[in-house]
Amino acid sequence: MPSRRRPSGDSQAWTEKTLPTHLGAIRPVVAELMVRLRDLGYDEDHRFAVRLATEEALVNAMKHGNRMDPSRQVRVRYGATPECVEIHVADDGAGFNPASVPDPTADENLRKPCGRGIMLMRSYMDEVSYSGSGQEVHMLKYRNP
Amino acid sequence: MRIQTRREGGCQVVAILGSADTEASLVLREALLGAIEAGETRLVCDLREADFLCSDVLGVLITAYLKARGRGGFVRLADPTEPLRELLKTTRLDHLFDIYSDVTAATARP
Repeated sequence: MPSRRRPSGDSQAWTEKTLPTHLGAIRPVVAELMVRLRDLGYDEDHRFAVRLATEEALVNAMKHGNRMDPSRQVRVRYGATPECVEIHVADDGAGFNPASVPDPTADENLRKPCGRGIMLMRSYMDEVSYSGSGQEVHMLKYRNP
Repeated sequence: MRIQTRREGGCQVVAILGSADTEASLVLREALLGAIEAGETRLVCDLREADFLCSDVLGVLITAYLKARGRGGFVRLADPTEPLRELLKTTRLDHLFDIYSDVTAATARP
């Protein structure tokens, strides 16, 4: 299988932003990323998936990581090539254990109004991992898995 | 995102137009929960022109569903676009909500 070019080795492909802990800061970042993917020819299904995962990661960072503390920030770094897109989101919170998050698709959790973000990120991206103590999430989606 | 509300078939229909992200979830919360607080118990969420829902919006729909059910009513979903149908399946919320092919079908059932 031919190797797929990841943005990791291409500094021109990366965008980095530091966001205030304010939900209103999310939409412009996601919109900019969607333009990047559209320009690279990603189809609607891919853009939907990356949009959802990025939104969930940023919301989690602000709400659960930074606990909406305006003195804390969220750092987002994303890069895309025609082959794949990578997104990294880091917060200033205390971290968490992703394995401790209950499965929101379990019958007993279906009626809970929250707790679906991580599951959606895992479902819609090809790779999701955490570093630090859970303060930073790394996500990757291939155009042709 | 825009929200349009109308009466149809004895139900309050709340249509989501466009993309419902976290910011938009606050507007939807006000529309749905406000309607329930005002006495509406039969609600249909029209998803025909919705192209994106985030988990906060799903949370609003669940909260409204539980409140309406608690008052003897319902929140039904109508005509989700394919990505949203897939989202409801992925989250297994298609096991919680009654999903109809269109608003007419959703309002027709008692």
